[in-house]
Amino acid sequence: MLAYNMRLAVKSFNRTPGLTALMVGAIALGIAACVVTMTVYHAMSGNPIWWKNDRLYAVTLDNWDPNRPSDPAHPQLPPSQVTYRDAMHIAESNIPLRHVVMHRDSGVLTGGVGQTQPQSVSTRLTTADFFAMFDVPFLYGGGWNAAADRGPDPVIVLSKQENERFFGGQNSVGSTLRWNDREFRVIGVLDDWAPHPKFYDLTGGPFASSEDVYIPFHWTEVLQRPPKEGSHNCWRMEPANSFQDYLNADCVWLQMWVELPDARSRERMQAYLDNYWAEQRKTGRFQRPRNNRLTNVSQWLADEEVVTTDDNLLIGVAFAFLLLCLINTVGLLLAKYLNGAPLTGIRRALGASRRQIFAQHLVETAMLAGAGAVLGLALAALGLWGLRALYAVQAEFGASGLQQLARFDIASVVIAISLAVIAALAAGLYPAWRVGRLPPAVYLKSQ
Amino acid sequence: MYLNIRPIFSALLRNRTGAVLVALQIALALAVLVNATYIAKQRIESINRPTGIDETNLFAIDVAGFTPRYDYESSVAEDLAYLRGLDGIVAATATCCVPVSGSGNSAPFFRKPDRANSSEVNGFLYDMDEQGLETMGAHIVAGRGFRKDEIMPPMTPENMERPIPGIVVTQLTARQFFPDSNALGKTVYDPFGRPTTIIGIASDMMGTWITREPRGIIWIPARPLIFGFHYLVRAKPGQRDALMRITAEHLAQSNVNRVIKSVHSVESYAKSLFLTERVTAIFLVIVTALVLAVAVLGIFGLAIFNVSTRTKQIGTRRAVGARKRDIIQYFLVENGLITTVGIVVGCALALGVGYWLSLHYQLPRLDLYYLVGGIVGLWALGQLAAWQPARRAATVPPSVATRTA
Repeated sequence: MLAYNMRLAVKSFNRTPGLTALMVGAIALGIAACVVTMTVYHAMSGNPIWWKNDRLYAVTLDNWDPNRPSDPAHPQLPPSQVTYRDAMHIAESNIPLRHVVMHRDSGVLTGGVGQTQPQSVSTRLTTADFFAMFDVPFLYGGGWNAAADRGPDPVIVLSKQENERFFGGQNSVGSTLRWNDREFRVIGVLDDWAPHPKFYDLTGGPFASSEDVYIPFHWTEVLQRPPKEGSHNCWRMEPANSFQDYLNADCVWLQMWVELPDARSRERMQAYLDNYWAEQRKTGRFQRPRNNRLTNVSQWLADEEVVTTDDNLLIGVAFAFLLLCLINTVGLLLAKYLNGAPLTGIRRALGASRRQIFAQHLVETAMLAGAGAVLGLALAALGLWGLRALYAVQAEFGASGLQQLARFDIASVVIAISLAVIAALAAGLYPAWRVGRLPPAVYLKSQ
Repeated sequence: MYLNIRPIFSALLRNRTGAVLVALQIALALAVLVNATYIAKQRIESINRPTGIDETNLFAIDVAGFTPRYDYESSVAEDLAYLRGLDGIVAATATCCVPVSGSGNSAPFFRKPDRANSSEVNGFLYDMDEQGLETMGAHIVAGRGFRKDEIMPPMTPENMERPIPGIVVTQLTARQFFPDSNALGKTVYDPFGRPTTIIGIASDMMGTWITREPRGIIWIPARPLIFGFHYLVRAKPGQRDALMRITAEHLAQSNVNRVIKSVHSVESYAKSLFLTERVTAIFLVIVTALVLAVAVLGIFGLAIFNVSTRTKQIGTRRAVGARKRDIIQYFLVENGLITTVGIVVGCALALGVGYWLSLHYQLPRLDLYYLVGGIVGLWALGQLAAWQPARRAATVPPSVATRTA
């Protein structure tokens, strides 16, 4: 029966090739627009560590100007980074299972095997728990411990890419390298790891690449200089006569995360923060309303507006366009089916039930939608290719994430197929139903 | 002219679905069209807003010394001498920040020493030398630029509290400081509350990133911070790319205690900064064009159907005396009626969507000119789409009426 209906559909397509092309084209364009925007949206709105969403919390405190919020566009939010003094104090708490204090810097890597040119590398200075907390995969070796962090020991973890560059991809654990002309020992090499959005530090943009190398956080104090990268924000100017003054200033420049496995530890941590806040307030700091936050990953990504207004707009426009294409198709299908009513009348008179007529036309619509989906996928691939070409300029600046994500993937296919099903149902049900209800006698009479 | 609206209207009422679907398409198309073009226009404006910078000829070299043997002062002097000596270079300077790169420094300056009771003016800060203004392509409109002997060494923790002898500001910043009088020669106070003098006012230009409120630039006569600085180089027209290659190669070799982290044109920085706007604008323009195309083709297709299902009626009308132009007129009026209904619904939809967007996404309220443009455009396109099928209808011979099929 299905094969018969499909043969009928093909005959019907052949009778009106132009119209068929128009309908398939409209469905394809509508689906393509939706697939492109949804693929990008899917990439942007992803939570790269969803399995720990309710364990990992960003720590933020509102230490800002009593007279104005840190971000006037979001007055309810504290600054998205923390000060050195607050981070150091909060890191002493043993309530969290793990905690991380970190920032981004850049350095120059030399040494390795062979004649490797000095290489500028983005560098994360982080406390020891970083790797375990964010489930960072290692190819060789591992991270450092808290003692090595306090040292700070001259140990370094390389990304897979830098290990390729400096050691040809060999197990380099135990080898030495020079970072900013200081000798460091390789203790670990990461496997591919590039979470997007880069939730743990959004200051370089959500689609910035992960760092090239990692060294213990307390090198910050040894280096005696402000980091060359990252974001450093102050709400007031304080005279700084030494690097220690710089560290102690009421400026935010560090990312802080804690791992709190259960509700109990979250409550205790919140109480700890509030307590610290109250103590500090007595000394004259924290004059804004109390706003100490523990924010889980998905809320963090929402607060930081990783998905922009424009992304939402484009999805809206794409779906409005798809709707237009579907209405278009309904209109054309209806006209076409009603135009073919005399034929349907004959089929009915020869014994076809309403149900069979309905099925026949639904199959025809489904075939249209199917063809539209296939063509739509091709168009979407083309659209994503164009999008990647646009994003290429960001890859030049080390933010290749979006370019990698704007790819045709399984999600795109799933989206396209579901849209095609919806399209077939939305566009086909009514015309198929209408044509099934036509009284055959009328059309037989006029013959 | 008598348009026969009543019979056309009652004919439409007897076969509503098709007409309703066309009207719906028109309504939806109008709502998408008007709002999408309006948003696209804003995005295109922000991409194309004049930067005031000689963007196309500028490039930036990101340098980093990394060994204790690296001597900042002599290295910068040597590099600038090399860059300025090259053929094809207009000017070069060492700078903290690259214009329109998305990253830089910003701080408030004050009109009075007592900052608590003083209005503040936020400005993008550039530490630059005597060639800084020329490099960026700024024109001095009053006063003067920096002299070579005014340029201070880079800021360090030890010298942080030194006074700044004089600053150059953009016209916008000058106005923000002194709305009612000439800012030139006036004293303002830096973030530490120390006095400094406005010695020059330069043409307006964009800062290092996009701000909600208008923000100008404050130039400070100093070498940039040792940690993280760039050379900003302005090439003569057409020479930028060649010079980017040559300088990158030379600088990578000339000092082993330093690396060249990157060399980018300011054009690339700007492209990257406005990427979201660009993507949005391109997408909206494409989808708008497709919306129009699909709507018009849809109307066209339906009209053709209408003509073919009504062949007999048309033949009958012709047989009883209707002229060809009466038939054409019938189809155009019918199309006009449907389009008008669609447009009325579409207006409400467009305004509703526009209002909702302005409410939820802080977008400016829909400009009514766009609505008017959309109405006229869609109406004309609708008539155009119906024209050919109507002409075809007019060619139906009266003899059709006498046949049975």
